[in-house]
Amino acid sequence: MKKIDFHIHTIQTVYDTPFTFALNVLERYVFEASLDAIAVTNHNIFDRDQFATITAAVNAVTFPGIEVTLDCGHLLIIADDAHLELFEEQARKVNERITKRENSITIDELNEIFDNLAEYLVIPHYEKKPAIKGSTLESIKQYVSCGEVDSPKKFIRSIKGSAGVTPVLFSDVRICEELASLPTRQTFVDCGDLTLGALKTCLSDKRKVFLSEKGGNSFFQVFNNGQMLSTGLNILLGERSTGKTFTLDRINELHEHVKYIKQFSLVQQDEASYEREFSRNLQRTRSQYIEEYLSGLKVVLNDVMNVDLRADEQEVEKYVSSLLESAEEAQRSDAFSNTALFGESLFPVRDDKVLSDLISSVRQMIENVEYREIIDKYVDIHSLKQLAVELIELLWAKKLENKKKQLVNGLINDIKESLKRKTSAVQVQDVDLYQVMLNKKKIAKFSAIVKLLQENATISEESIQGFRIIATKAPFSGAGELKDTSGVKTAFRDAFKEYEDPYAYLQALLANDELTPSELYKLFVKITYRIVNRDGFEVSGGERSEFRLLQEIKDAQNYDILLIDEPESSFDNIFLRSDVNQIIREISETMPVVVVTHNSTVGASIGADYLLYARKTIEGDEVVYRLFSGHPTDLVLHSIGGMTISNHDITLNSLEAGADTYDYRRHRYEAIKDRK
Amino acid sequence: MIIGDIDMKLLKIENNQGYFLAANEEFTSIDKITKEDLLRLVDITLTQEVEFDEYDSKSVANQAHQVLYKNIYEKLKGLKERKKEFTDECERLYLQEYEKYRE
Repeated sequence: MKKIDFHIHTIQTVYDTPFTFALNVLERYVFEASLDAIAVTNHNIFDRDQFATITAAVNAVTFPGIEVTLDCGHLLIIADDAHLELFEEQARKVNERITKRENSITIDELNEIFDNLAEYLVIPHYEKKPAIKGSTLESIKQYVSCGEVDSPKKFIRSIKGSAGVTPVLFSDVRICEELASLPTRQTFVDCGDLTLGALKTCLSDKRKVFLSEKGGNSFFQVFNNGQMLSTGLNILLGERSTGKTFTLDRINELHEHVKYIKQFSLVQQDEASYEREFSRNLQRTRSQYIEEYLSGLKVVLNDVMNVDLRADEQEVEKYVSSLLESAEEAQRSDAFSNTALFGESLFPVRDDKVLSDLISSVRQMIENVEYREIIDKYVDIHSLKQLAVELIELLWAKKLENKKKQLVNGLINDIKESLKRKTSAVQVQDVDLYQVMLNKKKIAKFSAIVKLLQENATISEESIQGFRIIATKAPFSGAGELKDTSGVKTAFRDAFKEYEDPYAYLQALLANDELTPSELYKLFVKITYRIVNRDGFEVSGGERSEFRLLQEIKDAQNYDILLIDEPESSFDNIFLRSDVNQIIREISETMPVVVVTHNSTVGASIGADYLLYARKTIEGDEVVYRLFSGHPTDLVLHSIGGMTISNHDITLNSLEAGADTYDYRRHRYEAIKDRK
Repeated sequence: MIIGDIDMKLLKIENNQGYFLAANEEFTSIDKITKEDLLRLVDITLTQEVEFDEYDSKSVANQAHQVLYKNIYEKLKGLKERKKEFTDECERLYLQEYEKYRE
């Protein structure tokens, strides 16, 4: 088995945070991690002299490489060191094209530069940002041996999947003196000779790559001292102050995308502030639902915001007064004001929305695949097509008519303007009465919708892990609630006075410059959530914590590793056994989980894949923290330094307060059993 | 107001003068029309069966009445022709959203 890391940076480029390469650190890394082969892969650059220095210094097979910035993601190209000159020339061409961060090259340019990619080891970013995906990945698939991922979770997922390329996990490290800790991300490959050809063959075979040397893909390296963790469920035991939390903190530091549920983080503190935070959290996680629920109102509001009833009224007034005035002056008309066009009104030009909607409905009936059979049972598709054609032709005719009317309207306007300049007669101000009436109807409908929305009602009930989340709607009861919902620091008192009249209220909100019009839809109805327990009662403080723990664990699915520090801190055993254990077990099937616990319900009943024990000893003047690990059924656990410890002893000490206490307790339980 | 099958008359010409149907259901001289009257007439035109005496410059002697009657007559006549369109459009107005929140 060979251990490799083919993604190492040794030159600072525009893509890196500043660092200065330190050869001694690379030597140490190769030595301590026992690497058999490495590749130097800097962003769009290959320095042959530096490569020679590295090759001479490190005790591992070293391949020349480059990380190319494509327009669709990043790609590692690793070459055979026998063709250094050619590779240097090709890398130079890449470098010439990418001088700034925003530059990139296309797949075609890549093919042109490297001539025959089949001669290289090509590794795209696969489950790692910026990833090469979809059709682009498909277009270079023939050259790709494996794809880079950035966590053991993604590695396992890719290995298990029947489709997709072989995953590889590399460090992507910037080698420098300031490196806080040596990397832990490498890949083991079942390969004999470390030639580029042999590696290409092995890396393209999912059965030949592993996360660990001996444990296959059931383990991965968590610390650079070689400490392994199960890719499933790990339990970390230990007495107080032996470095358990410190261990979790380190895992959190060294790995990316970690979900870390800290000790007591879910425990109820101050009731009032906790409740506020709890509802805020709930509101946040449900915001998508609120968005969806209010989407209808949003559509209506977007339209209604453009309606100005007062302006409409003013226009009608202008029309009537100018008409009356013009009538009064009718006697004094002259040649100009006597022309028919002087008093001519414009053609109403409006898009026929009803017709457009009708056409799309008919089209939907023609094109629908899912319900084809039912549609065909009642309507003949041929007739539908004829209907569509006729409606579309009508729409065209109407559009053409509108175009003509627009043209004529333009002409009338011009002529009226010219006539107006020559006469003192009053010209009647035109008004689109159809639109005025339609606007009134719009506001009436809008008000009816808002009133419906403001009625008290339950709008959804959702069950989550035994709890029920109930969403209710109600009118806002005051300006303060509006302020909370809007999240904007502005006064709502005046607007709220109009709350009963949706249109007047909307105008008041629109008049407030502090508010974003596109966000106003949130201010018409109050949507609140409450959680009830299995029995339908309001949740207690403890139940709230339980709910949050379950939610947090569920949320871990979006991360690559889950760490939980003493979940028992605030929960009773029944809850831990029935809910927490089950959900942790389930999640550990898809990602590594580490649980620190003192609780036998969690520690002994959860069915861990791997057991770790933290111990603090004083050796000389020094405090030494040490981890022992092994399978839960092993008699002894081992430390990295070769020390051993009895599994039975530490398990009883950690979970049962020692063998004596356990025996005593067991006897007590037996004594009270069946004493009737 | 519909009496039997007879459409409601909103504008009429009598004694060479133009009249409109006011809110008190009396015919009033067209030169007394206000914007409220006009909006009421528009609303009736778009929602009920209505008719108007056709405009003819010869039948209206007063020039002021000619201007008023002709203008308003043409406006209302145009709206009457679009009554179906208006009804359709109003019925479909935010219908989907209304149904969604009515459930």
